[in-house]
Amino acid sequence: MIRIKDLVKTFDDSTVLDGVTLDVNAGEIVTVLGASGSGKSTLIRCINGLERPSGGTITVDGNDVTTKAGLAASRRISATVFQLFNLYPHMTALGNITLAPVEVLGKSKAEAEEQARALLAKVGLAGHADKYPQQLSGGQRQRVGICRALAMQPRYILLDEVTSALDPETTGEVLDILQKLATEATTMVFVTHEVAFARSISTRIVFMEAGKLLVDMPTEEFFAENGGLAVPRIRQFLSQIRKD
Amino acid sequence: MRFADFTPFDLVLLAQGLGVSLALFLTTTVAGLLLGLGFAVVHHFRFPFVNPLIVAVTEALKNSPVLVQLFLVFFGIPALMQIRMTPASAAFITLSLNTAAFAFVIIRAGIESIDRDQIDAAEAFGLRRIQILRRVIGPQALAFSIGPIVGILVNQLQVTSLISVIGVFDLTKIGNILNLRTLEPFIVWAVIGSIYYVCAKILAHSGARLERRIRRSYAWGEV
Ligand SMILES: Nc1ncnc2c1ncn2[C@@H]1O[C@H](COP(=O)(O)OP(=O)(O)OP(=O)(O)O)[C@@H](O)[C@H]1O
Ligand SMILES: [Mg+2]
Repeated sequence: MIRIKDLVKTFDDSTVLDGVTLDVNAGEIVTVLGASGSGKSTLIRCINGLERPSGGTITVDGNDVTTKAGLAASRRISATVFQLFNLYPHMTALGNITLAPVEVLGKSKAEAEEQARALLAKVGLAGHADKYPQQLSGGQRQRVGICRALAMQPRYILLDEVTSALDPETTGEVLDILQKLATEATTMVFVTHEVAFARSISTRIVFMEAGKLLVDMPTEEFFAENGGLAVPRIRQFLSQIRKD
Repeated sequence: MRFADFTPFDLVLLAQGLGVSLALFLTTTVAGLLLGLGFAVVHHFRFPFVNPLIVAVTEALKNSPVLVQLFLVFFGIPALMQIRMTPASAAFITLSLNTAAFAFVIIRAGIESIDRDQIDAAEAFGLRRIQILRRVIGPQALAFSIGPIVGILVNQLQVTSLISVIGVFDLTKIGNILNLRTLEPFIVWAVIGSIYYVCAKILAHSGARLERRIRRSYAWGEV
């Protein structure tokens, strides 16, 4: 379980996360919605240890991510997919996927490669194992990014707007894969602007506003007239998204 | 035949001078690159107090004449520390440090040019800093640095000629000797200059080939 309690993050003198409390249980798919600048990416970056919390606690299966040992343990059981893919440009798709399993999990190269090829095949990139990121389209790159995360066989996957750098057509490719993952009971924290998709896959939706969780509701309740939609800010946010 | 005329033996002298110049160039290149790489790695890990020291030393080396540095090492240090210093060791120390200073600046820029996003990814996947340096930053920084490093090495090859003034029998010193004997400065210096030129061209050419090879082996093409 990912437990976030009273999380505060400040940059210089601006408070970006202002007391966030959130539990993500195994098997849940929690979507984080919220306007640009509300702190969604910062939340993800605190969970994966790329930002150090200014206050509060985060544990991943009991591992405190603010300690060195806890963070190392937590990073072995969770993996991140990034908005801009963040692939290593000097490595092939295969190299990108096998780096952490070999270096961090201590797998043999052969084993890691076999697993990577199977993952690539699963996302429809069987013939692309030896291509470099710059030889792949955006959608293909993100699929490699997803394989890189899956190769860690993580209990938790953190996804930060993984389709927002893609055009509508390739967005579909990537969402299809996430849909598949969702049915495989992978636990996910999913930051997105794809509201319709979020509605179809998530078990819970949290809405962030200026560094706070405005609501945290089961998906159905969030979209119910007397639930999330009763909150004026959320109604406004959703109607804006629909217009886009 | 006058005593002063060119003789076939002068070719042997030239070859010996060239040998000394090349030996000095190669040894100081190896020592300088290793030291510069060491500086850059230490700098990357931000050990306390060490970084400002490295920056200050390399800045001093880059921004003062090599000839002055050479005099400082050859005359200054022995006088200060009451030790003996041979011309060859003074030349080796000075040129190695000098190459190290330039290599440090280039490799450091290479390391710092690597896009933060990839390093974030590697960190988030649990790689330790040393693993990130070795597997993610290093190969890309190398590809980035190799061109500029070949550039400074071509320059350092020319700089080796300065050591002739403290009495090392390098190519330039041999030129001096032949010039004094034959009184044919135009011929002597044109020949000496051409030898440096050919060496520099060979160096630049092999450097460019090496750079292409490295880039191709990573195959992410023109970056
Ligand atoms: N390293 C940083 N230094 C200073 N301010 C930062 C830093 N990172 C984020 N911020 C600020 O924190 C706020 C929240 O940023 P964050 O990226 O978490 O928002 P977001 O909800 O992910 O937005 P978007 O939907 O645009 O991705 C913004 O105002 C941003 O400018
Ligand atoms: Mg964001």
